[in-house]
Amino acid sequence: MIKKAHLTQWLDRVAQGYDLFGPVLDGVVQFERVNSSDQLVFDYANSVVPPKNLFLPQTECLFAFRREEGSIILEPRGGLERERVLFGIRPCDARSLLLLDEVFNSDLEDTYYQEKRRGTILIGLACPSPPQRTCFCTSLGIDPLSPEGVDVLLTDLGDRYLVEVTTEKGEELVGLSQELFFPSAEGEKLKGEKGKSLEEVGEKIGSLWEDGYWRELSRRCLGCGVCTYLCPTCHCFDLTDVGSTLSGKRFRCWDSCMFADFTRMAGGVNPRPTGKERVRQRYFDKFSYFPEQYGVLGCVGCGRCSQYCPMGIDIRTIINEVIARGAK
Amino acid sequence: MSSNIYLPHLATIIEIEAQTPDTTMLRVTLDDPTLAQSFTYRPGQFAELSIFGVGECPISIASTPTRKGFLEFCVRAVGQVTNALHELDVGSKIGVRGPYGNPFPLSELEGRNLLFIGGGIGLAPLRSLINYVLDNRDHYGEVELIYGARSPQDLAFKDELKLWDEQEGVTVYLTVDRGDERWRGPVGFVPSFLREIAPSPQEKVAFTCGPPIMIKLVMEALEEMGFPPDHMVTTLEMKMKCGVGKCGRCNIGSRYICRDGPVFTLEQLKALPGGLEL
Repeated sequence: MIKKAHLTQWLDRVAQGYDLFGPVLDGVVQFERVNSSDQLVFDYANSVVPPKNLFLPQTECLFAFRREEGSIILEPRGGLERERVLFGIRPCDARSLLLLDEVFNSDLEDTYYQEKRRGTILIGLACPSPPQRTCFCTSLGIDPLSPEGVDVLLTDLGDRYLVEVTTEKGEELVGLSQELFFPSAEGEKLKGEKGKSLEEVGEKIGSLWEDGYWRELSRRCLGCGVCTYLCPTCHCFDLTDVGSTLSGKRFRCWDSCMFADFTRMAGGVNPRPTGKERVRQRYFDKFSYFPEQYGVLGCVGCGRCSQYCPMGIDIRTIINEVIARGAK
Repeated sequence: MSSNIYLPHLATIIEIEAQTPDTTMLRVTLDDPTLAQSFTYRPGQFAELSIFGVGECPISIASTPTRKGFLEFCVRAVGQVTNALHELDVGSKIGVRGPYGNPFPLSELEGRNLLFIGGGIGLAPLRSLINYVLDNRDHYGEVELIYGARSPQDLAFKDELKLWDEQEGVTVYLTVDRGDERWRGPVGFVPSFLREIAPSPQEKVAFTCGPPIMIKLVMEALEEMGFPPDHMVTTLEMKMKCGVGKCGRCNIGSRYICRDGPVFTLEQLKALPGGLEL
């Protein structure tokens, strides 16, 4: 346990030894680097941009190159100067990092992602009740009070937080201000509510490849890609060179399967030529391809795509439609 | 730090050989002598080639690992990077990442007859396997190659086509979509030419690569001739960036062409949503 009044004291202590990131009101709530706990906000449902950008930045230089004496010098970039602590990550986003780990760890390891991931300790904040209008993590088997994927989880109990430490790194953080923490009484852990399960979407979507629903849905979609940029599990990226052949940098930038250029090849052939194929790709990826590859649904129910879609496309409506139309 | 999958190896172009008006073959060696020795690959795999400042693109490896010390890439000028590759001279530096993707199923081919069906630059990945087979001649049966291009001047690897045809147990059939005044051979599209030749499916595995429509029609023809779907192998292309199954772009169904392909049997494609639409 820690008293609410003592939380900022602990976080300031943490900020002395680590680069501290947390929810900041910067127009909208974002996870940003802070120097002191004064900059943090505590009264928020979730950030607009998911914390994936701390591990897969929207734009990231992979290496610099320059031509020199008949050869080319490559200078890799990346790496962290100091170990980081991310305060305030929600359980849905913590789960999303476990899913991204599958992508970036499997087969060949992505060092740029891994260095940031290994160098970041996570202090989670269990979700307040009631949830946001667009939240539906419980329908996908996620517990909004779960410490899964974080090193320390704090649950708001009015004037104090319940503190669950799950890893050694979590112990280290608590150890920085041991005097502020006190043992909890029995049975203080809250139980999360369970929503109506929508997990059968994964079994049903496979039968709907040819269904007219994707064409229908694509007529409403602008192809703006906001659903993919704000999705905590979307990881598509582009690699692009900036500079000249004499010197420059290679960047990786977020990309989106909603963009027409995404699969257009040199010469003009595009296997996903219209919105129908692109919209279908996105939902098949979340509910069919991702589970086939990694054994878990590729959506964590954070609801950002539904909340920020300019056309009001709601992923829960899509899931319900798939369940209604599909066959097992 | 473990190895950085996005950092290319430097390589130098040691030979350039024009193949057709829009296609050229680059022979390169890796600059790091240790790596040049240890670099291995198998027919069917590809590499990401970089021109720093322009970008990267996936190109199949057209050489065979049985001939060591260099890598060959057959490049058609269609986009930014491939056009820039055409501008390079001998001695120019490029970047190479790879090898990536799955190879042709080499061990399953031993003792079998092999039929290759190529269209245009689609012969490049098949060439790697053809030369591999010819360098291990005792392990494989009869080899047939049916190859076509838009016109006689668009036929790639002309010198090698002759060399292959002269070898015992190898037959090369050529066709073009449109002939010219000097062309004496057959005229017609590859799939219909294939039906005319009607190779026996007996103990045979068929490999095809070319424009998507050709692959589709060739697969249909082969199926009608009695080739089982698990004995029909193709290698696909798709827009790629990372080459290692992370950038999320080149999938058919749950399979990434860069990581789980580019080599697929018809049987595998049939099991994927949209697998026959490429």
